[in-house]
Amino acid sequence: MTRRREIELLLAEAIAPERRVMRAGMICAAVAAVSASLLLGLSGWFLTGAAIAGATGVLAVQAFNYLVPSAAIRLLAIGRTVSRYGERYYSHRAALIALATVRARLFGHIVAARDVRAVSAGDAVTRLVQDIGALEDRLVRKPALPAALAGGLVGLVLAALAGPGAALAMLILLLGLPMLVVRIAPRLLDGPARDLAEALGRLKADMTGYAQASPEVVAYRMAPALSHMLATEAGRLDAARMRLARGEAMIGGAMTLAGGLAMAAVFLLSPLASLPVRVMAVLAAAGAIESLGGLVRGIMRDAVVKAGLARLDGLAGEGEAVAPEKRCRAALTGRRLDLPVGKGRQFSLSAGDRVAIVGRSGSGKTQLLEALAGVRPDAADGIVIDGQNVRDLPLTQIRELFALSPQDALLISGTVRDNLRLARPGLRDEDLWRALETACLADEVRAMVGGLDYWLGDGGARLSGGQRKRLSIARALLADRSWLLLDEPSEGLDPATEARLLGALKSWLDESGAGLVLVTHRPAVLALCTRRLDLDDERPAG
Amino acid sequence: MASKKASLPWLLDTICAILIAASLSVAVSAVMEGRNLVFSVALAGLCAVSALRSLTQVKAATDGQRAADQAKAGWRALCYPALLSAAPGNRRMLGEEVADAVDRVEDLDGYHARFLPLRFAAVVSPLLIAAAAVPASWVAAMILFATLAPFGLGMALAGTAAARAARRQLEALGHLSGLFVDRLRALPVIVGFGAEERVGRHLAQATREVADRTLGVLRIAFLSGAIMEFFAALSVALVAVYCGFNLLGLLPFPAPEKLTLGQALYVLVLAPEFYLPMRRLAAAYHDKQTGEAATERLEAFRRDGVDKEMPELGRPPELRFEGVSIDHDGASVGPFSFIVPAGRMTAISAPSGAGKSSLLHALLGMARVGEGRLLLDGKEGAACLLPGHVGWAGQVVALLPGTLADNIRLACPQADEAAVERAARKAGLGPMIEARGQGMALPIDHRGSGLSGGERRRIAIARVLLKDAPLWLLDEPTADLDAASAADIGAILYEAGRGRTVLLATHSEALAALADHRVML
Repeated sequence: MTRRREIELLLAEAIAPERRVMRAGMICAAVAAVSASLLLGLSGWFLTGAAIAGATGVLAVQAFNYLVPSAAIRLLAIGRTVSRYGERYYSHRAALIALATVRARLFGHIVAARDVRAVSAGDAVTRLVQDIGALEDRLVRKPALPAALAGGLVGLVLAALAGPGAALAMLILLLGLPMLVVRIAPRLLDGPARDLAEALGRLKADMTGYAQASPEVVAYRMAPALSHMLATEAGRLDAARMRLARGEAMIGGAMTLAGGLAMAAVFLLSPLASLPVRVMAVLAAAGAIESLGGLVRGIMRDAVVKAGLARLDGLAGEGEAVAPEKRCRAALTGRRLDLPVGKGRQFSLSAGDRVAIVGRSGSGKTQLLEALAGVRPDAADGIVIDGQNVRDLPLTQIRELFALSPQDALLISGTVRDNLRLARPGLRDEDLWRALETACLADEVRAMVGGLDYWLGDGGARLSGGQRKRLSIARALLADRSWLLLDEPSEGLDPATEARLLGALKSWLDESGAGLVLVTHRPAVLALCTRRLDLDDERPAG
Repeated sequence: MASKKASLPWLLDTICAILIAASLSVAVSAVMEGRNLVFSVALAGLCAVSALRSLTQVKAATDGQRAADQAKAGWRALCYPALLSAAPGNRRMLGEEVADAVDRVEDLDGYHARFLPLRFAAVVSPLLIAAAAVPASWVAAMILFATLAPFGLGMALAGTAAARAARRQLEALGHLSGLFVDRLRALPVIVGFGAEERVGRHLAQATREVADRTLGVLRIAFLSGAIMEFFAALSVALVAVYCGFNLLGLLPFPAPEKLTLGQALYVLVLAPEFYLPMRRLAAAYHDKQTGEAATERLEAFRRDGVDKEMPELGRPPELRFEGVSIDHDGASVGPFSFIVPAGRMTAISAPSGAGKSSLLHALLGMARVGEGRLLLDGKEGAACLLPGHVGWAGQVVALLPGTLADNIRLACPQADEAAVERAARKAGLGPMIEARGQGMALPIDHRGSGLSGGERRRIAIARVLLKDAPLWLLDEPTADLDAASAADIGAILYEAGRGRTVLLATHSEALAALADHRVML
C-alpha cells in the first residue's frame, strides 16, 4: 500500500506545476456543461411559450419577450463551443506535461533497482509507455467532476421549477447513476483491464526475447512456430479487450437509458407546472444526465488506470529499496579487497594488484566479477572492501571503484562516441581516441564511415564480436577507476590483435597504477597478471 | 465489409433517436390537447425506445471490436515472422521494432472498432435524420443541411494537417520506446559507470519532446472537434429561433409553412441528433490518425519475397565462395574466395573484424552479398535454400522463456523428449541437469539468468546435435569455455560432425586443428 502512495505522490508532484492550467480546464468544463443543458432547455421553453402565445392571439404575441431568449440561445451555442475546446486543450496540456515528468522519474527508479540485471526491458517499457499512457486518461478527466456538478445542478434547478416530484426524480437519477457505476464498473471492467495490460506486457517481453535471436530463428526456421505462439498470446489480449469494450458499452447504454427515464419522469411528475416550464425541465434533464458522461467514463477508465497503477507499483517501490541506504560514509579508496573463495577462506588484493580469475565454465568467475562491480548484489555476500562488508555499503559507492567490461559487451544503440561517453562526464574526443588506441580499435574506428559518429546499430550489432569487446574495454579505461574489471578481454580476437591489446593494456596499467581483475580461459592473457585465483581448487595460488 | 456490417447498429441507434423525438413531441401535443391516455402511451414509448437504444449501443461496440480483431490478426500474421527473421545489423533499435509489431497493431484497434463503422454511419445517419425532419418542417431540414457544408470544409482542412502531425508523433513515440528498451538493456553498464543522471537527462528531454508533439497533434484534433461543436450548436440555435418565430408568426419573410408545437419540438430534438454521428466520428478521429499512421509503419514489414518451403538438403553439400564481398550497412568486407568441401570440416580463421560472422550471416540471407558468387553445390541461391536446413551455433545464444527442453527443441520442433534429452547430454549439459534437480523441465528466462557462458554454449551445441542437418555453420562454438570444456566440445563436434559439411569460424587453435581443411582469410 505504501508503494501505491509512492506513485500517487509522484503523480501529484508532477501535476503541481500545471495546477493553473488544470484549473482553467475545470472552469471551461463547468461552463460547457451548463451551456449544453441550458441550450436545449431554453429552446424548448421558447418554442412552447411561442406556440402558446401564437395560439392565444396577436396581443399575447406582442407581450411575449422573444428577443432575450433568442439572443441567449445564440450566446449559449457559442459559449458551449469555446468552453469545450478550452476544457480539452487545457486538461490535455496539463496531463501530458506532467506525465513526461513521471516517465523520466520512473526511469530513474528502474535505474535505482538493486539488481539491474533482473530488469526485463520489454516489460519495463510497457510500463513506461503504456501504463503511464493510461494514467493520462485519469488526469485528462479531472474536469469531469466540475462539469457533472454544474450540469447536474442546472438540471436539478429547472426540475425544481417544474415541481418537487420532478426534482426528486432528478436527484435520485443524478446521484444514483454515478453510484451504480461505481459499484458495477469494477466488477465489469477490472478483470479485463488487468488481463489486457498483462497480456500486452508478456507479449512484448516474449517478442523482444525472440527477436534478439534472429540468426538462429532463420537458421532453424523457427519464425512460423514462434509467430503462432505469439499470435495465440495476442488472442488472449483480444479477448480481454472485447470484454472491456462490452463492459464499457453496457455502462454507456445505462447512461442512454437514464437519459430517457429522466425525461419521462420529469414530464410525468410535474403536472402542476406550466407547459413551457415542463418542456424546459424535460429537455434540460436529458442534458444534465449527459453532463455526467465524463464522470462516468472516468469511473469506467479507473479500471485501466488501476491496472496500470498496480504495475507501476513495482517500479516506484524499487527506488525505495535504495533510498534508505546511508550515503554519508567516507569515500571508499579500494586499497584492499577481500574476496570469499569458499570454506570461509579469503583472497586479499591490494591497490594496483593484477589478478586473473580462472576456473571451469560455471565455476562463478563472471558472477564474482559482476558482484565486485556492484551490478549483481545477490552474489556479493562476503566481499569486503577496505574492511567493510559490501552488504553495508551503498551500491553507488562500490560502483565508483570499478570499471567493468562485461562478458557481452553491452553497448547502447548510438554512435561510437555515445558509447564511450557513458564512461564519465566531460570526456573530450582526444581522450576517446587515446582509449581507442589502447584498446587497439582506433584504426578500425578511423576506417568507419563517420569515425566516432559511426552508428553501431541495435546493441552494437554492426560491429564484430571482437570489436564490440574492445569498444567496451575502451569505455572501461575511460572511466578512470581504481580497479579495471575485464571479462574475457581477448575473446573473439585473433592471436596477433590479442598480443597487441595485452601489450597496450600493460602500458596503460603501468601508467595509471589501477588494479586489474580479469576473467579468462586464454593462457596468453594470464601473462598480464601477477597473481591467480583458481576457483576450481578454491585455493589462492600466487 | 466487416466495418459496414459493424455500422448497422449505429444506424439503428439513429432510428431510435428519431422515435424518441417523435414520442416527446406526441407527449407535448397530448398535454396541449388534454389527451391523457396518449400522453401516458407516449412516455411509455419514450422509455421503451431508450432501452432499445442502449442495447443497440452495446451491440455496436461489440460488433466493432470483432471487426478490429479480424483486422489485427491479419497484420500480426504479416509482422511477426518479418520481425523475428530480420538481420541483427539491419535493425535500428530492437525496442522500436517490437513497439511497431505490438503497439502499432494495437493502435489499429480504435480505427477498425470505432472509426470505420462510425464513418459509414456518419454519412447515412444525418440523411436519415434530415429525411425524418422533412414531414414536420422542410425548412428546418434545410437549415440542418445548410450548416453541413462549412462544417465539412473545416473538417477537411483540419484533417490533413492532423494526419501529418500524427504520423510524426507516432514516429517519436516509437523512437522513445526504442530508446527505453535499449538503455534498459544496457543498465548494468549505465549504473556501473554512474551514468544514470546523464542517461536520465537525455530520456527526460526525449519524453518532454514527445509530450509537446502529442499536444500539437491533439490541438488540431480538438480544433476540428470545435468546428463541429460550433455548427452542431448553431444548427440547434437556428432551428429553435426559426421555429419560435414561425410559431409566433413573426418571421421577417413570408412563412413557407405553418408549424404546430409538436412539429417544432420534434425538429428541435432531432437537430442535435443530426450532428451526433459526426461528433462521434470526430471523437474517433484520433483513432483514425493513429490507425492510419500505424498502418503506414506496419507496411514496412511487408516483404517482397514469400518464404517458400525449400527441399531438405539431401546430402552434405559443397560451398564455394567466388570473390564474395559482403555489404554490412555501408561498410564492405571481402572479397573472399575459398571452397568448403562436401562432407568435411572446414575451419576459417581471420583477424577480428574481417567479417567471419558476416560470411555466415550471408549464407542465411541475413547479410547482402555485394559482389561475387556464393555457390551451393555449384548453384546460386544458398540464401533461400539454407534457412531451416542447417545446424547453427552463433556468437549469441538465443534463449527464450520456457524450459531447457523447449529451448533445445526449437531447432527441431518434431523431436521427442528422449531425443531432446539425448542431445542435451551429448552436448555436455548432463552435470547441469543433475545439479539443478529439475531435469529437462529446468525453467529458463529470456536472459538465461543463472546460466554460465559455457552452459549457454552447450545449449546451442545441443540444438545443433538435435537438428541433425547435413550442413553445420558454427561461429566460435567454444568461446567462453575453459580449455577442458573446449576440448570436450571440440571432440563432440568432431565426432558428431563426421560425414557432414561443417563450416567453422574460430580463433581457437585447438579447435581449428580438428578440421580437415583450413582457410585463412
